Amino acid sequence: MFPQFGATAESLSKASTLVFRIGTDAHLYDDPEDVNIAPLLDSKFDSEKCEALKRLLALIAQGFDVANFFPQVVKNVASQSLEVKKLVYLYLLHYAEKRPNEALLSINCFQKDLGDPNPLVRAWALRAMAGIRLHAIAPLVLVAVRKCARDPSIYVRKCAANALPKLHDLRLEEHTSAIEEIVGLLLNDNSPEVVGAAASAFATVCPDNFLLLGRKFRRLCEVLPDVEEWGQIILIGILLRYVIARHGLVKESIMFSLCQEKDWSSGKTVSEDDEQDFTVKEGAYGSGGTLSELANMIFHCYIERPDEYLSRSSSPNKGFPKLEASQFSSSSNDDVKILLQCTSPLLWSNNSAVVLAAAGVHWIMASQDNVKKIVKPLLFVLRSSYASRFVVLCNIQVFAKAMPSLFVAHYEDFFIHSSDSYQIKALKLEMLSAIATESSVPFILKEFQDYIKDPDRRFAADTVAAIGLCAQRIPKMANACLEWLLTLIKHELVCSGTQSVVGEDGVLLQAITSIKSIIKLDPPSYEKVIILLVRSLDTIKVPAARAMIIWMMGEYCSLGEIIPRLLSTVLKYLAWCFASEALETKLQILNAIAKVILCTKKDDIGSLQRVLSYAVELAENDLNYDIRDRSHFVKKLFSRNLESQQNEEEENDKSQNRDLSYVLAQCIFGGQTKTVTVPSEPINSRFYLPGSLSQIVFHAAPGYEPLPKPSSLPYNELDQYDGAASGEFNEDDPDASGSLDEESASDYSSEHSYTGSSDVSHSDETVSGHQDNHNTDPLIQISDTANGGKNQNGVSHPDTADFGDLLSTRALESWLDEPPALSTESTMEQGRARRSSARITIGNIRSRVKTKCYMLLDPANGNGLKVNYSFSSEASSITPQLICLDLFFENCSLESLSDIVLIDEDSSKGSDSANQTSLSVESTSNTDIPTLVSMEEISSLEPGQTEKRTLQVHFHHHLLPRKLALFCSGKKFPVKLRPDIGYFVKPLPISVEDFRDKESHLRGMFEYVRSCTFTDHIEELNKDNNSLTKDNFLVICESIAVKMLSNANVSLVSVDMPVTTNLDDASGLCLRFSGEILSNSMPCLLTVTVEGKCSDPLSISVKVNCEETVFGLNFLNRVVNFLAEQCHTQS
Amino acid sequence: MPPLMGIEFLCRVADVLNDYLGGLNEDLIKDNFVIVYELLDEMIDNGFPLTTEPNILQEMIAPPNIVSKMLSVVTGNSSNVSDVLPGATASRVPWRTADAKYANNEVYVDLVEEMDAIISRDGVLVKCEINGEVQVNSHITGIPDLTLSFANPSILDDVRFHRCVRFRPWESHQVLSFVPPDGQFKLMSYRVRKLKSTPIYVKPQLTSDGGTCRVNVMVGIRNDPGKTIDSVTVQFILPPCVLSADLTSNHGTVNIFSDKTCTWSIGRIPKDKAPSMTGTLVLENGLERLHVFPTFRVGFRIMGVALSGLQIEKLDLLKSVPYRFYKGFRALTQAGEFEVRS
Repeated sequence: MFPQFGATAESLSKASTLVFRIGTDAHLYDDPEDVNIAPLLDSKFDSEKCEALKRLLALIAQGFDVANFFPQVVKNVASQSLEVKKLVYLYLLHYAEKRPNEALLSINCFQKDLGDPNPLVRAWALRAMAGIRLHAIAPLVLVAVRKCARDPSIYVRKCAANALPKLHDLRLEEHTSAIEEIVGLLLNDNSPEVVGAAASAFATVCPDNFLLLGRKFRRLCEVLPDVEEWGQIILIGILLRYVIARHGLVKESIMFSLCQEKDWSSGKTVSEDDEQDFTVKEGAYGSGGTLSELANMIFHCYIERPDEYLSRSSSPNKGFPKLEASQFSSSSNDDVKILLQCTSPLLWSNNSAVVLAAAGVHWIMASQDNVKKIVKPLLFVLRSSYASRFVVLCNIQVFAKAMPSLFVAHYEDFFIHSSDSYQIKALKLEMLSAIATESSVPFILKEFQDYIKDPDRRFAADTVAAIGLCAQRIPKMANACLEWLLTLIKHELVCSGTQSVVGEDGVLLQAITSIKSIIKLDPPSYEKVIILLVRSLDTIKVPAARAMIIWMMGEYCSLGEIIPRLLSTVLKYLAWCFASEALETKLQILNAIAKVILCTKKDDIGSLQRVLSYAVELAENDLNYDIRDRSHFVKKLFSRNLESQQNEEEENDKSQNRDLSYVLAQCIFGGQTKTVTVPSEPINSRFYLPGSLSQIVFHAAPGYEPLPKPSSLPYNELDQYDGAASGEFNEDDPDASGSLDEESASDYSSEHSYTGSSDVSHSDETVSGHQDNHNTDPLIQISDTANGGKNQNGVSHPDTADFGDLLSTRALESWLDEPPALSTESTMEQGRARRSSARITIGNIRSRVKTKCYMLLDPANGNGLKVNYSFSSEASSITPQLICLDLFFENCSLESLSDIVLIDEDSSKGSDSANQTSLSVESTSNTDIPTLVSMEEISSLEPGQTEKRTLQVHFHHHLLPRKLALFCSGKKFPVKLRPDIGYFVKPLPISVEDFRDKESHLRGMFEYVRSCTFTDHIEELNKDNNSLTKDNFLVICESIAVKMLSNANVSLVSVDMPVTTNLDDASGLCLRFSGEILSNSMPCLLTVTVEGKCSDPLSISVKVNCEETVFGLNFLNRVVNFLAEQCHTQS
Repeated sequence: MPPLMGIEFLCRVADVLNDYLGGLNEDLIKDNFVIVYELLDEMIDNGFPLTTEPNILQEMIAPPNIVSKMLSVVTGNSSNVSDVLPGATASRVPWRTADAKYANNEVYVDLVEEMDAIISRDGVLVKCEINGEVQVNSHITGIPDLTLSFANPSILDDVRFHRCVRFRPWESHQVLSFVPPDGQFKLMSYRVRKLKSTPIYVKPQLTSDGGTCRVNVMVGIRNDPGKTIDSVTVQFILPPCVLSADLTSNHGTVNIFSDKTCTWSIGRIPKDKAPSMTGTLVLENGLERLHVFPTFRVGFRIMGVALSGLQIEKLDLLKSVPYRFYKGFRALTQAGEFEVRS
């Protein structure tokens, strides 16, 4: 703000001589390579290492690539000196992405540093580790972040929050939920500093996860003033989005009132309150609707997503969807009130970004009276912060467009200083003309008069345009403006009389444009002005200005008394100087003559026609083709008139005037231009949220997010979440469990089991709770793992093949003690294991299995024949390599079809005849396995009839489709049969012990894990919401099992249920399936583990153990795909 | 990320570097590139500001002062990176150094005001307002809690605060209650609008005829503020259509630079005569008279007075402290965007 900054900098730069450079690193920068760097790096002295690193840094700064030192530098990461560490980290982060393999070498050191007692070391290690951005170490980073999120040091926790977006950037889906969980934890932190960083993480990681905010909202609001400024900016945005999603828009806000007004405005009834606010612009804009419509549009744009915008702008009906009343809440809503209360002191912040963010909240949410609060702070920012001036002004402009009354009294603040840049000046002019009212306009115009004498002529021209705008807005001032513009023109003409000065043309042109727009308001009363302008034609030399005057003359040729009398003289003059005119003027002259001819009475027409024919003739020989075209056009239209001149007969008859070309000419030239009230700047069809980058650049910048849909967050969902989460938050206090030296997994297990450590004895009680369920629902069989085979409840084992045996306590414990294969999994797995679980069996599940049908041939392509296929769970009788399919043929046409048969594509090539196809088994008999055991031929299929056939196919490949040929009524249809890897296995009914046993042999590289989200159960749950007969867990188990069995030919081995006090937490649910690969009879084991709340989308982790790795991986991918797929009813 | 956030952050970086290096230019940055790198690394992490509090930064990364320079030359060992995390990161008042100790405890409060004014071509005062700052330089042991109140807070049109200021007391009875950072900082900025008069007048007259233009600028005291008005300057840019200019003054010096900027440095306005500058401008060939007119930018400085009229009532330490505690108040008004159109 004050000049001392620049002055000292200047003087110091001059003095930046030797004396000042002593002790700085200048010599390192000037000659980084004057010594051999490599041995220094290997030195045992920290100071030498440090120097070497500084030299490397200097080289980086100068743009050299010093990546070849990477291995040597990485070694130094273990140094004890903090400065060496810091420099190594700088180097490492610069090159890590280029040299990932070497970067991995440093991981161990980071891991060690994470346990350092010095928080600074821990924080830096975390920052560097997360900054490396390698997929390979993402799980390690996640563990580190999780740990640091509970660090006792605020600084480390803050760094942990900052590391989350880095992890998120790697786009590892399986970690998303874990990251979001940490975000939630950090948002709940005691320290405002951490909350700020967590807010920024939230905004990048999961900006729409409002459920995470639910309970925290109030706390976040309260802590908002203490959060550091950068966090405030982000947090304000998050809270605003939350309130909109949760409660919708506020009834008292200007947004709502303007929308409402628009709805009523058909009758021009404006509510009493608004009346005084809007009287001003009602007069100004002619119709009161315009402005509220604009405001309405602005607010709609705030909540409109880009796709909606596109569909709206492309559809002919450009209306906005009406907002429903349910999308609004009143300002007395507590959350809204709190948000407004907490953001209003931020309007006093020293940081202009905070002020603007807070102003944005008030703009959208506050009631009309409160919106006024934002005016002064915004204007103050405008003055006190130079750098942010332009951005603030752009935002103020939008506010003022929607609600000029806000800024009316503050017009002085927009007066222009000579030091302002041109962009600022232009914006301020727009503001001034937009907020001018009858009381302020004299002052503003006076200001404008000063501006016109500014040496910057472009700015002067803009000022003239602004005067025109003011006159249009406030018709009372129009006369004064006009007079003033005319003197300006006169003055300009005198000044630039002999020699046109650069930029003067623009001012003159702008002046005439402004006059034109004023005249348009009420042409008859400005007759004299037009005459004056026409008279000055011989002094005005600017072609565009001349063209405009000529246009005006043509347009208003029949106005008043004097103009028609002038016309013939003027036109003669114009025709006379036609040849020397510029292009645009020539075109206007032709137009003007045409218009005049259309309007004039009979008696003058003779001379006018001569003028026309003269001008047309000149134009026809013009060098410019545009003018030649125009002249031909005019000539054709007025051919009758031109001829009439030669014939001089009764051609001027009225009957002739009515002929086609006359009517056409009337339409083209005579039609009074529909008063397109051209606003000086086109109203942007889109507006963006205040303060966003998009608002400045006028297009959706990457990362721009509109506000969420009002009230899109249902209450019950949130409340449910609140209830479920209550347990979590008691425990999640970072200070409660933050001891950094506890690296043991138990630290994490407590984190996972929200209900605290649930030991085995605990589960007894819960089981009795489950018993009720059992009584009401015979499908579920419950037993307690702790009680093992005793089975006190007297439930007998139904001997369906699907039932798994109960697991003895010992077996469970041995499973727990098994070393987990993946280190990253370890913590999670153990966490899960600490809770007890009950094993249940679900009977009768097979009956609910629906196999999926695929389309082989659709009736449109198949001449009315529709063929669907589904994989059947039966095994082939011929050889196990064959896969059985059920084919369903349906005749959708009106004629009967005959001789339907499906054969292998290859064999059909050799023998084209359809009859031989049934022999395909023989034709391929040279191989061991037949590629296709063909189905029985369908001799005829009547319309509407359906036939089912079984087909056995051998797929060569797991994933590639098999090409087949379908013959029907002599026609050949090529079809593709897509394999489903889920049916390349057959059920392997085994006991849980066997499963465990087999699984333990298939560890390590035979084990693959992937995660996905599962949502099918939600619908099921909702369906059963009112009946309490079903247990949530059971529904989830069933929906997973059904989905699994419907898509893969496996058998259900067991279902483990967590036994916890928290009935809504499905974490720990575990289903096991087993199958056997058809081709080689190898077992393929599948374990599905569930995480998350019952009512939410569950995070599922699927594990496949299979000896054949390629098959196993493909199988896993398939399973994950169909589990993640939504069921049809939902989609 | 909102654009303003980026702008504000860059400004902050510039401020911090300026504090560290005692200026900001290419040479200084080159000479101290290691510190600049370290600072930037500390200030921003993954595109989001991490530590921007100057107090904390100074403790983490030592600024290059003379002592450390000499030390590094002598010992050949320079570590400017602190080994421990500054205590302030963990405190409730992160802007304050955790353990400041001073033999002399003192607080200086300066009111620094800038006057913005626009005087139109008719000589009418169109707009006149004050943009001021309360700058505090505090050297107090421990964690002091200060309150500052004004005699006439109602004249303030709008305010902006340093983050250390608590909002509640201001909202309820316009008292600034705060735990100050250590050293120099800007406590608040304020604005007083619609002032009625300026301390000095500047009357430019331009009359052009026959291709030349006579310039006459008079400067004088309009309302004596009671203190001396210092370093008065008048600056304007010659319109592009002026070919050459010949300007002389009866007091002070006139300089015309190659970019057509004219600066008339008057210094202190003498008591006995009214300073004036006269001269002629030669216009471009063919141009009879001047049709665009320059704007004169005026600079001045008045020590010891706050033209807005804002007065500090008292400054108190909330808790009684064992040590003695000195308070000092100063005021200064200078010209901001003070423009006279001709």
